[in-house]
Amino acid sequence: MRTFGLSEFIFLLAAVRWTLLLSLVAFCGGIGFGFLIALARVGRFFILRVLAQAYIQVFQGTPVLIQLFIAYYGFAVLFDLRIEAWTAVSLAFTAYSAAFLGEIWRGAIQAIPRQQWESAECISLGYFAQLRYVILPQAFRIAIPPTVGFLVQLVKATSVAAIIGFIELTRAGQLMTNVTFQPMIIYPIVAALYFVICWPLSQFSRLLERRFDATRGITQGL
Amino acid sequence: MFGHRARRCPHFQPRMRYVFQFGIVADHTDELIHGALSTLWLTTCGAVGGLLLATLCVFLRTAGPKPVRWAIISYVEVIRNTPFLVQLFVLYFSLPALGVRLYAEQAAILGLAISFGGYATEILRSGIEAVPRGQIEAARALGLRPFKIFRRIIVYQAFKIVYPALASQVVILLLGSSIVSAISATELTAITNSLQSQTFRAFEFYFVAAAIYLGMAFATKAVLASLYWLMFVRGREA
Amino acid sequence: MPLVALRRVCKKFGSHVVLDNVDLEVAKGEVVAIVGRSGSGKSTLLRCINGLEFVDSGEIAVNGRPVTRSVADLRKLHREVGIVFQSYNLFPHLTVERNVMLGPAKGKGFPLGEARKLARDALAAVHLTDKLNDYPARLSGGQQQRVAIARALAMEPVLLLFDEITSALDPQLTGEVVRVLEELAAQGRTMILVTHEMGFARRAASQIIFMHNARIWEKGPPQQVLENSKTQELRTFLSAILRN
Repeated sequence: MRTFGLSEFIFLLAAVRWTLLLSLVAFCGGIGFGFLIALARVGRFFILRVLAQAYIQVFQGTPVLIQLFIAYYGFAVLFDLRIEAWTAVSLAFTAYSAAFLGEIWRGAIQAIPRQQWESAECISLGYFAQLRYVILPQAFRIAIPPTVGFLVQLVKATSVAAIIGFIELTRAGQLMTNVTFQPMIIYPIVAALYFVICWPLSQFSRLLERRFDATRGITQGL
Repeated sequence: MFGHRARRCPHFQPRMRYVFQFGIVADHTDELIHGALSTLWLTTCGAVGGLLLATLCVFLRTAGPKPVRWAIISYVEVIRNTPFLVQLFVLYFSLPALGVRLYAEQAAILGLAISFGGYATEILRSGIEAVPRGQIEAARALGLRPFKIFRRIIVYQAFKIVYPALASQVVILLLGSSIVSAISATELTAITNSLQSQTFRAFEFYFVAAAIYLGMAFATKAVLASLYWLMFVRGREA
Repeated sequence: MPLVALRRVCKKFGSHVVLDNVDLEVAKGEVVAIVGRSGSGKSTLLRCINGLEFVDSGEIAVNGRPVTRSVADLRKLHREVGIVFQSYNLFPHLTVERNVMLGPAKGKGFPLGEARKLARDALAAVHLTDKLNDYPARLSGGQQQRVAIARALAMEPVLLLFDEITSALDPQLTGEVVRVLEELAAQGRTMILVTHEMGFARRAASQIIFMHNARIWEKGPPQQVLENSKTQELRTFLSAILRN
């Protein structure tokens, strides 16, 4: 039995890398796919709108843990192969992020008043030109604070990967507990490490919200 | 099923030899229902407990002495910036060091309530700030001295404003309750886990569990929406 | 052949009739002012000419071609018809110059250099060449509205539509906008305006149209319509406007 000391703490810190890496990979993937989902949601084709809406509802209406179980155990049984933990978690969290970010981006696009679409249409811009030069640049500003806020949600969600044994910060904490039998120190330290990652991001998101809300006063005319 | 193809293209190896057997899931309907009801029970306890806690906290945050206010702010920030799983582990594994040894279900409910309370405190606080100042001034001008009536105007309005956000948070709580399976508390995910490991039907069981959660989420949204209508719309002025 | 021709145009929003058998012809070079109470269908008429709304029955032809629902046709229509809205609707994230350049550059596909020249000429026409690099938020209402006019002008349209463009402005700011309108009229541009600016209508319009309850009740040259109103509704409307 070991006591919790510097080397154990370093083990936790090393695991933080995986938490951050997983969050980053899922976040970037989520931004890419989420963008497509948002476009589908606000687009002209009914079937795409329905599919995108269904996708969002499913990922927002089921627990992350179940999504992870399906990715790790479910698909493994389905295709009769062993899926690596990293593959399963990165795919699952990317899909999860895509749903939430897609919804955020949909809200941002729909927050742009109809008149902006009309004005762009009236100077003969096609649908994609309207999006690219008029709508999306404005939607981007609106979407940034909640997107940063979601990153916090994502980092917290990655802790669930511990349950399938993927080694990130929470799992490392469990392992350390098994070795040192000192959960009363370890778990609060794990919590503190998450706090150190998440709290600055939360504050940044609040700062962005205030800044962008102030500049939202720059509207078109009325 | 893929036999004829395999004969014509000897290199074709179908990956999915899996045959879905949802019937096995149907055999365990009782256990799944028990799990779903446990989940609803945990969610209700967590939501009610958390809401009471949040009401107390938001009151202390506005009316209490400075150290108390800082304590509440810290509580909210910790809850919102740490994962629920870790909070659970602290309650279940770390507390025994202080002599508090909880059963899994107790830790689960406590954890859910404390977590919900943190988010709800922040939601209620923003609701109170959103109550139009004019209402409060009007009430004062009308000489509504009795503190109880005065408080009713603020609390009622604030609650009405933030009700949608609170309702969303309840659904998040419902889905988050699946995490308590990690400390072996009885609810839908834990039961699904044991069933799928017994029967080796991982995909079917998790798929059905996901569908049940989806159904519960929709039902919860519907119930809370009708509650809103009952409380704030029916037969009342704005 | 008239530049704009409307024949028996009808439109309903739900059960509410907004346009009831409207006939109208506008020749090249004409300045037409449409007046009437709010809700009389004036704005909808303008938006139908531009293809922003579609009629339920009847025909609209602009520059010889009918207005259809086809996306390609509408894009062509928008290159020929410029519109300025009551709430200017400038693009807040672009500078004034880019606001005006966007149409020629990405709508008509002109190279950037040419688009920039068109933009500068249009901004010169509205007397705002010193504001090229400002963002709309820093301009006054009157200036923003003039940028909106420049944005329409830069597309080199054959027809200009104005939907109550001074109604949202403070009184002291309407003057600069009306001045631009008069200059455009003097250049012989074809313009259709929905307006409350009776002074401008009397001075510059070749035709005034009075709309009431989704129909055109009177139309004709300013002297005829304003001085010798034939219908009681128009007289009531005019006295209400002139009283203020």
